[in-house]
Amino acid sequence: MNKYLLSICTMLCMASCVSIKPYERVRLNDPDMALADIKCDRNLLTAHSYREAASGGNGGKTGGGCGCN
Amino acid sequence: MVARLEVAVDATKSDMIKIFATAIIVVLYSHSTLLAQADSTTVYKKRVLETTEIDFLTSYYTQDGQNAAVTGGIGTEELTDATATFIVSIPLNDDDVLSIDAGISAYSSASSSNINPFDGDSDPYVASSGASSGDTWTNLTVGYSHSSDDRNKLWGVHGSISAEYDYLSIGFGGNVSRLFNQQNTEVSLSANVYLDTWSIIYPTELRGSGNFRQSSITGNRNYDPIFVPLTGKNRNSYALGLTISQVLSRKLQGSLTLDVVQQDGLLSTPFQRVYFEDIEDSFVDGFHLAEDIERLPDTRMKVALGGRLHYYINEFLSIRSFARYYQDDWGIGSLTASVELPIKLGMKWTIYPSYRYYNQGAADYFKPYNQHLSTDPFYTSDYDLSKYNANQYGFGVRYTDIFTSFHIGKFRLKSVDLKYYYYDRNTPFSSSIITGGLNFVVGK
Repeated sequence: MNKYLLSICTMLCMASCVSIKPYERVRLNDPDMALADIKCDRNLLTAHSYREAASGGNGGKTGGGCGCN
Repeated sequence: MVARLEVAVDATKSDMIKIFATAIIVVLYSHSTLLAQADSTTVYKKRVLETTEIDFLTSYYTQDGQNAAVTGGIGTEELTDATATFIVSIPLNDDDVLSIDAGISAYSSASSSNINPFDGDSDPYVASSGASSGDTWTNLTVGYSHSSDDRNKLWGVHGSISAEYDYLSIGFGGNVSRLFNQQNTEVSLSANVYLDTWSIIYPTELRGSGNFRQSSITGNRNYDPIFVPLTGKNRNSYALGLTISQVLSRKLQGSLTLDVVQQDGLLSTPFQRVYFEDIEDSFVDGFHLAEDIERLPDTRMKVALGGRLHYYINEFLSIRSFARYYQDDWGIGSLTASVELPIKLGMKWTIYPSYRYYNQGAADYFKPYNQHLSTDPFYTSDYDLSKYNANQYGFGVRYTDIFTSFHIGKFRLKSVDLKYYYYDRNTPFSSSIITGGLNFVVGK
């Protein structure tokens, strides 16, 4: 649990060190830079949720809504 | 004198009228000037979604293995599944978006066909025909999201229903997001609830409806399992999620997601067989008759911590990386790591080579075929809950047309995706999936 807290604190600390202006985000706004799974991969993630015990942490299914693990 | 006074009064009235008229003009002018100033300072608000978008997603999945849970950890896991999904996102105004997500999935499964293996095939561990050899899953999700005028606050709600032959799920949830630090930081909270109901189906021999004669049993000919039916048929899942996203430089951004899920109810699968080493085995035509079904605790708590880091190397190449640590109170720990390298080949084409590594430890209740003890409180021989590691290799291609020059009526094609993934475990299991996606915008 300490690992989780440490990671979250690190991220929060980093939050205060940078401020990129909107007009400087051309590269970050590239669709491939989006902090989410590519939409087309949704059914792949569903297959993982059936065949693997682990789920969550990726913005996708976390359990429930199907007969999956 | 009186005449002079009358002239003076008339002059005063006239002046007052002039003053009053002037005052009105000044007030009106001032007001119109203020309005004009107000108009000139109105901030342009970009629509959250410019126009209606439609995504059509499809996939074809195949798998094979030799550790089917339906037959207690042995036998074919052959399965095929075809899925089609429409996602329609409709801007209701500048700030609000309605999304409708409808999907259907049809599968045929050799292992689930062995819920009733006694269909006359010579080998009961290959696919059987019958009602359990396939099923259709349907889903409808409707969501609504709202973004504040300054785009620094977002919230959304959604509801869903999905059904297959032996499973019904109702889900609902919501999320809130707050952006700050000039939108370099985003914190999101989500909550989801799924209320699921099984239609319980046991292996055929435990229903007393096996299509075999007592005299055909070999091994222990006194097949009489002490089978206790399940008491509940509901499965409830409550999930809380926290995501922190951060811009780290002009080329680098990342996020951390923490998901905590509490499940209760029927968490086992009613038609998965289990065999015990301390019970004498009974067979019909070589098929091992069930000694019990999978039994698992009625609660499970899962914690997953995932991190993404995306780096834009140059106009041709970027890196999308993901790592996750997972732990639950059934004793399963897992690590996942993946990397994808979008490579742009000109303005319209991008290719996506990728690699993913996954490993997990076994659940405390897992043992292979015929190794459980009947005195154990919980048991499963589902290899999805066993210790294994897996490698996945993928390759995809995307065609993007920002000018949407190809169109079918009002539906203008924006992008096409096609991907292939091969997944291989260190147990006898492998799978392949081909996924495709079409993205349309609606407009002239």
